[in-house]
Amino acid sequence: MSQPLLVVMPARNEAANLPAVVAELRAVWPAAEIVVVDDASVDGTADVARSLTCRALVLPLHLGYGGALQAGVKFALRRHASVVVSFDADGQHDPHDIAVLLAAVEAGADLALGSRFLSADGYRGGVLRQLGRRLFAALVRSLTGFALTDPTSGLKALGPRAQRLFALARFPDRFPDADALVLARRAQLRVTERPARMRASRNRHSMHDGPRALAYTFNMVFSLLAAALGREADLEE
Amino acid sequence: MPIRQKVFFLTIAVMLLLVIVELVRRRRLRVEYSWLWIAAGLTNVVLILRYDLLIELTDVVGAVIPTSTLFFLCILYLAVLSLNYSVRLSTLTRQAKELAQEIALLRAEREEGYGASGAPERERRS
Repeated sequence: MSQPLLVVMPARNEAANLPAVVAELRAVWPAAEIVVVDDASVDGTADVARSLTCRALVLPLHLGYGGALQAGVKFALRRHASVVVSFDADGQHDPHDIAVLLAAVEAGADLALGSRFLSADGYRGGVLRQLGRRLFAALVRSLTGFALTDPTSGLKALGPRAQRLFALARFPDRFPDADALVLARRAQLRVTERPARMRASRNRHSMHDGPRALAYTFNMVFSLLAAALGREADLEE
Repeated sequence: MPIRQKVFFLTIAVMLLLVIVELVRRRRLRVEYSWLWIAAGLTNVVLILRYDLLIELTDVVGAVIPTSTLFFLCILYLAVLSLNYSVRLSTLTRQAKELAQEIALLRAEREEGYGASGAPERERRS
């Protein structure tokens, strides 16, 4: 790659995890430009990011994961990045897995997802979460024909076409996982999956845990259907 | 409807209309948000002056007493109004999101001029 790798890391109150995660990333990708999207944190995440010589995108309002990721993708678009990688700031992704995603994009994919289920080992989440992921995978398969095993993966590589899709005004910013794939299908993007090793999050409270999981599931299914039944105009600028 | 009732309710309906118009005139209420309210106020006036219309409407929808028709209309109106608010809220949410992202991007661009450490940025803030 002629350009340095661009990594977008949506982060909310991750000041404690950031140094270790960034160090690990830099150990594998020394030249990577890391963009930490600080989603209105209160623990100085942005200052930690700057002190680690990462670029900090500081959101003045809390937008949630999707809005933060979208901000990072907009940054990449303005840079005309040929590929941008989304990477979680809580340490659950392994920087070594980025290489196969980049290779997939270079080989012509618009969107490459890291899947924990294609990987031989690693953390797979609790029983309920696995069940939920199966449900999403089945829904995504019936709606798009993509046979993806881990459609809610946070580790992805986006080529220019995927970046433009993710930056759309009407892009689903609350649940940009499985419903994003439905939109990707409708926009005729090439989507592929590569194995990725996931670890348990460094945070005790992850975004999909606890009583919120039920509401998440409901919203996710609903936004999947909304993405599938949406108007064609949603796919345009 | 007895004339005493008519006068009483007409006064209230007209006052409501005047308040709406005054709010618009003082720019406290935007014109595009006022039409639902003005429509409600005018409906009040019409139904007070032409109570027979309400009775006819009751017949048409198959209700038994005009009061139920009136209550139904009120609830329907409130439901439409809150749906209208939800749509506006969704628009505002999207606009706020885009503004927040734009601010973050512009800030980052400005910081770029100062190098990756962002040191002058912090000096100015303190």
